[in-house]
Order: sequence, then C-alpha cells, then structure tokens
Amino acid sequence: MKNLKFGALLMTAALTGLLAQLSRAADEELKIGVVAAESGSFVSAGNTIVAAAKLASQQINDGGGVKVGDKTYKINLYIRDNRTDVNVTIAAARELVNDVGVKAIWGTETHDFSVSMAKITGPAKVIQFSGNSSLGAVLDDKSVAPGGWLHYTFQSEPQEWQRSGSTAKGVLSLLTPLLAHAPKHSVVFVGNDATGQYLSSHYVKALEAEGQTVDLVKYPPDTTDFSPLLTRVKGMNPDIVHFWYNGDSTLTAFPQALKLDVSPAYFLFGVDPGIYQQRQLRSDKPVTMSCVPVCWGSSPYPAVQDYFKKYFDLGASKGPQSSVSLLYYDYFFMYAKALEQVGSIDKPDAVVDALLKMSYQGVVSPVPLTFNPHHQVTFATEVCLVKPNTSDQFNCTVEQPPPAPPAGDSGG
Amino acid sequence: MEIFIQQLVNSLSVASVTILIGIGITLIFGLAGIVNFAHGEFLMVGGMITWFLVTSGLNFFAALLGAMILVGALGFIAERGLFRFTLERPMNGFIMSIGMSVILQHVVIRIFNEVQKTIPDPIGKVWVIGGVDIIAMRGVVVALTAVVVAITYFGISRSRYGMALRASIADQDTAALMGIPVRRYVTGVFVYGSVLAGLGGALMIALFPITPFTGSVVIIRGFAVSLIGGLGNVGGAVGGGLLLGLVDGLSAGYGFPEWTDAYSLVVMIAILIVRPQGLFGGTLGPRST
Repeated sequence: MKNLKFGALLMTAALTGLLAQLSRAADEELKIGVVAAESGSFVSAGNTIVAAAKLASQQINDGGGVKVGDKTYKINLYIRDNRTDVNVTIAAARELVNDVGVKAIWGTETHDFSVSMAKITGPAKVIQFSGNSSLGAVLDDKSVAPGGWLHYTFQSEPQEWQRSGSTAKGVLSLLTPLLAHAPKHSVVFVGNDATGQYLSSHYVKALEAEGQTVDLVKYPPDTTDFSPLLTRVKGMNPDIVHFWYNGDSTLTAFPQALKLDVSPAYFLFGVDPGIYQQRQLRSDKPVTMSCVPVCWGSSPYPAVQDYFKKYFDLGASKGPQSSVSLLYYDYFFMYAKALEQVGSIDKPDAVVDALLKMSYQGVVSPVPLTFNPHHQVTFATEVCLVKPNTSDQFNCTVEQPPPAPPAGDSGG
Repeated sequence: MEIFIQQLVNSLSVASVTILIGIGITLIFGLAGIVNFAHGEFLMVGGMITWFLVTSGLNFFAALLGAMILVGALGFIAERGLFRFTLERPMNGFIMSIGMSVILQHVVIRIFNEVQKTIPDPIGKVWVIGGVDIIAMRGVVVALTAVVVAITYFGISRSRYGMALRASIADQDTAALMGIPVRRYVTGVFVYGSVLAGLGGALMIALFPITPFTGSVVIIRGFAVSLIGGLGNVGGAVGGGLLLGLVDGLSAGYGFPEWTDAYSLVVMIAILIVRPQGLFGGTLGPRST
C-alpha cells in the first residue's frame, strides 16, 4: 500500500513536471514591437501598420507559431502609439528595446521618426522594418555594413527611383492613347513636406526620362482649399497633372481640379480604385491612379483579394492608405522564416544575413521579394486607369521598375 | 486676364469659409471673453454630423440644420459644464480648450474612424461666365455667409439684446445692476458662436473632405481673421476674412505657392504690430469695474 502511494506520488510529480515543461514550451514568446500613430495626424497611416501586424501575427500564431530549432514561439505584439510625435516615438522605442526586450520592431510611418528609432534599435541589435522609401537617402554601403548604424534596419518599401520610374511609365502608357496628342507637359502637384520633397524629386526625374517637360508646384501640407493653386496650374496649360503624395490631399484637391477643368488628364498617386469607387468620383477626362504597393480596390490577384478581405474583416478602415499595410504584413513572414533558418531568436546578425539571402513569395508582388545589399526591397507598381464617366471600371497594369535610376537621379 | 479674375473669384470663396469661422471666434473671444481653441473641432464635429446625416439619407440642407442644432447643444454643454468655471481665469479656459480639442478629435475617431469624410456636392453645378469657372456650391456658401454676417451685425448693433450685450461688455457689474443677466448673455454668445461653427462645418464638408484633424488647421486662420479685424467686431471679421482670402488667392497664383499660408500670417503679424487692436478695433470680453 505504501509502495502504491509512493508510486502515485512519484507519477503525480513526474506528470506535474511534464505539464510544467509542456506549459513552458507553449509559453515561449517572441516579442515584437510595433510603433505607429494610433492618434495624431498620421493616424491613417499608423493604423495600417497596427492592423497588418495584428493580422500577420494572428495568422502565424494560428498556424502553430514560429518554429525555431526545437522550440515553438508564439508572437506577442507590444503595440505603442507614438501619437504622431517624434519624442513619444523615441520613448516608445527605448521602452520596447530596453525594458520589454523585443527582438524586432515594425514602424514607423515617417522618415524622421524611423531614423530616430534606428538610433535606438541599431546599437541594441534589434531588427527594424520601416516602410519609408526616403530611408534610401541614408541606407548606403557604410551605414548597413556590420557595425553600421543601419545594419539592422530594413526598408520595406521599394527605392523611390524604382517606384517613380515604374509609375511614370505606367501612367504615360495608359494616358497617351486617350489624349488628342502625345503628352509633353506634366505638372507635378505635391505637398511641401520632407516626404513630398523627397518623393517628387525622383518622380520629376522619372517623367523627364520619359520625355516630359515638368513643372513642380508645391503646396502647404495642410491645404484644404486648393482652388487658387489649381488655377495657377491651369494657367500653365498642362497635358497631365500628377497629384503626387499624399492620398488624403489628393482626394481633397482632385474634385476641385475637375470643377475648375484644370487639365485634360490626371494621375492620382496613393488613391486606390476602391476609394475612387467609394467616393463615387467621376471624370470626363482620363484619370489614372496607383497604389503602394498594390491596390485593394481592383486587384486581379487572388492572394491580394484574400489578404484585403481578411484585413478589412479585422475591422481595419478602408482608406487611401490601406494598401500600405501590405508593406508591413509580408515582412512578418519573412522575419519568421529567417528565424527558422537561423535556428535562434538571439542571433540578430545571422537574421540580417538570412533576410539578405532570402527570396520570399509574398502577397505584394507577382515576383518574390528580395532585399538588396542596402536593405531595400524591390517590387512592381500597379497603375490603373478608370474609364471616363465611370467610378468603377478600371483597367490596371503592373509595371516593373526600371533597371537603373534615370539621368540626374543619384538613386538615394 | 481670365486666370486673374478666376483668382479673385477664388479669393471670395476662400474668404467666405474663413469669415464664418472668424465670426464665431471673434464673438466668443471678443464678447464672451473665452479663448476657445476647440472652436475648430466644433466646426469639424459639425462637418462630421452633416456627413453622418447625409450618408444616412437626409437632405443636405436638413443635415446642415441638424449640425447647427447639435453643435449649438455641444456649445451649451461646454460653456455651462466647463468654461463657466474659468471665466475669471481665461488662461485656464484656454488650456482647457486645447485639451478639449484633442479629446473631441479622438472621440470622433472612436465613433467614426480616422478616414477622411466627404459628401457629394449638394448642387454639383459649375457656371462658366466669360471663361471664369464659378462653382455653384461656393456661390451658396458666399450667399449664406453674407446672410449670417447681416443677421449677426444687425443683431449686435441694432437689437435690444445686442445693446444689452454691448453694455455687458462695457461694464458687466453696472449692466448686472441694470438687470441684464450677464452670465446668460455669455452663454448665449457661446452657443451662437458654436451654431456658426456647426454651419461652417456643414458648408465646409459640402466643399472639401474633412478629417478629425481639420479643426486644428482652420482654427489658426479663424484666430488670424478675428485678430486682424478686431476681437468682437463682426465687420472686422468680414474685413479680415476678405483680406486673408485675397492674400491667399493672389499669393497662390503669383507668389511662391508653397508659402501661401505664410503670406497670410505675415500680413496678420504686420497688422498686429501696427494696429494691436486690429484693423477695425475690438474688445476683450466683459469687463468688471
């Protein structure tokens, strides 16, 4: 009887130990930080990062988690609202890196904020995925080399000269057959902030490379009544007006341009066909639009349709920036794959190497995603033409980026 | 020449929206003595209410009325529940209104989300006269602004209530001894200013899309207009609005376009240095002896 009791006790102890072990194994946590604007003026961009991160981590966890060596990790997101404030961004990054101990951070939505975060993630060897193409100005041989301050930073948006090149080519090829004569004079209409200045500098060169004479008109970023500025543009007699960055401003300015009959053709950057349809916009002039990286409103790709269905089912808003969420979603899977290849979550240098060698078939592009030696990704741009006098009939084309920057564009 | 005339027409339409904002601010700041930095958010709330009602199937002009009533009610609650306790310390009220503006932005985001809102143009016509495009809805905004200016101006300068209000501003203690309910007048002015913000928001969303952050952009111009014209001076707000509209229109057309906002603010700074009381003279709220 005594032996029986002892045996039962031993078995109970062994079972408890086993359960504890199993429980510990199940509790292995991969801490990932997200720093994004959930309030303040960048909230529409910030919310896309958070929504994409939630969707990706939920799918990875539901699929069994990240299998690294003999352990399985469940992703725990640590989401911090940067309130569209660079100081809050820095404080959040410090907390996530120093106190929480995240292995990677997704965010933020603007150049200055991302660079500030990189000053914290770099020394701590925390991988950072930021979408801003303007990072191209600082990602170079020296900064991304081992020991460099951006060695752990990855730009999840394509280089600006690539995007500008593919967009300019797509816009002109779709509009030219619909105009009375081949377009020669383009006006680029852009918000006068750091991102607008950076992006437009590349786009102007891309249009010039396509044979356009280009005038650049910058407007104050918070403008709502564009009529005086658009009247000025009308006086320039453009063949095409390109509303270049950002989507919300374009959606404010474009209807005013239509009423003032500013141009015989338009291009709307960052306006998704889905938004065009939702707003019931209509123009008797040909209008093209493009999305970063791929449109949610009229994508022919089943993977993209499936992604956006799940994304919106999670409660994310249908906005001009919704497509941007994809810039963050795919990289969760790339990062998870890199960890699995390395076999440890504690070898960030090896993870960087794995990411640089990886070719990953994600949602964003028909061709696999790869990072170049400057930690920048490459993919195509989707450009759509809406049939005049309709809100919902689109003809979309995918333009591959040019092989090299155009003349006068340093690429950075 | 056509482009120049178009810019003058644009200036008038730019001025109209600014004047509506400016009148609300100039009344509340100049007559009630309350610096309500959340006035822009009141306007934004008016726009959001209009959007909600129009997308729910209501006619635009009925929605406009709804926005005016609801934002007026919001103004009543804000004055009675918050600003009434800061009348003796206007700086507290000012800081409180900044907090209120952020809270209102996020309440709207929570209820409606952060995405830009727009409604179809209620009229949807453009008249072309001599090569100049006149957007019909902008014409309606100019006309409504003129009506509001007339009602407000004559209400203050000619009516019995206006006289009592002006007496309260000149000397609230004496006015109170004469049986004028000064506090009630302050509430009345605040609510009237809020109703105008509701109207401004409704008209604004008929012209442009708005976001939860639109208020924080327009408030600067509203304060500029009321300071240029002279606080509490309705005619001053009209003059200030027209001046800024003209500066905006012409600088956007012929100056450095990216500096458009800066030109207006330079004009404001210059005027305030030369004439601190504003171009048409103003007040600073009810004064006690």
